[in-house]
Amino acid sequence: MSQNVCSRELALRIALAARALPDTDAKRLLSVLAECTHAVMTESAVASICLDEFKQANDGFFGGYSDQCLLNALSILKNTAADKVMPAIKAYQEGELPNSVRMACASDDAIHANGQFATCPWFMVYQVNAEEARLIDIRHTEIPEGLWVQDKNSYRAELIQDCKVLYVVSVGGPAVAKIVKQGIHPIKLDEPQSLVDILSELQAVIADSPPPWLAKAMGVDASERFKFDRLATG
Amino acid sequence: MALYIVEADCISCGDCEPVCPTQSITEGPVVFKIDKRTCTECEGDFDVPQCVKVCPIDNCILPLEA
Repeated sequence: MSQNVCSRELALRIALAARALPDTDAKRLLSVLAECTHAVMTESAVASICLDEFKQANDGFFGGYSDQCLLNALSILKNTAADKVMPAIKAYQEGELPNSVRMACASDDAIHANGQFATCPWFMVYQVNAEEARLIDIRHTEIPEGLWVQDKNSYRAELIQDCKVLYVVSVGGPAVAKIVKQGIHPIKLDEPQSLVDILSELQAVIADSPPPWLAKAMGVDASERFKFDRLATG
Repeated sequence: MALYIVEADCISCGDCEPVCPTQSITEGPVVFKIDKRTCTECEGDFDVPQCVKVCPIDNCILPLEA
């Protein structure tokens, strides 16, 4: 899905980046990007563009621009700038998606599951079933001013206590204990992946045959869940 | 005298399999399982059952009531 269609958020960022560059319209920036990414305009392709590449593309169109200005545009494109483009949240009523599980992803850029539990700025919270993966909330991990918390990681775990599954790229041992204590199942990724890929992977698992612990987290009835009961206990 | 794995809680991490001194743990069709005929609860080998010690989930491996 993300492979051939430029997402709404990426399109918006391209337009914002074009505005941040003097004498550049979105069309010109697009042709530069098309060359940098070899016409495959995906988030990960855009995320891997380096400054030199950006400068040289399209017969060095950006050659005369200052590094500062170009880096600023790149940070908007890669969504690492201070003002980030966030995907739209859709409201969710309890029970709206049958057989669904609520999951959170630690993210640094709202595009990839690339966050470290203790440092990521957001948890992207999705309600997922076999048919739909809905972004229902983006939880900011910053501790509100004036609020005193004894333990930062406990605060973070409590922030997503309604979730059953959490995807992180890295997390420490004591932090895992705090996550598990909230009844959340942490899943550590070997490397950052795009949120789209993780969601479709999880949806495939839910649609196929969820492992018992996941079925339990989804609230599937015990009698339904133990289809293989006799087989498994032997 | 044996232990069993609670299927609804086992996440199939496989950590318990290599630590069993009697090779009683194998991967079943859904989750891992303990052979109750050979499980000794590590009596004679260790002070505490090794699978319980390494299992990352609380109350996932419990004594089988006879």
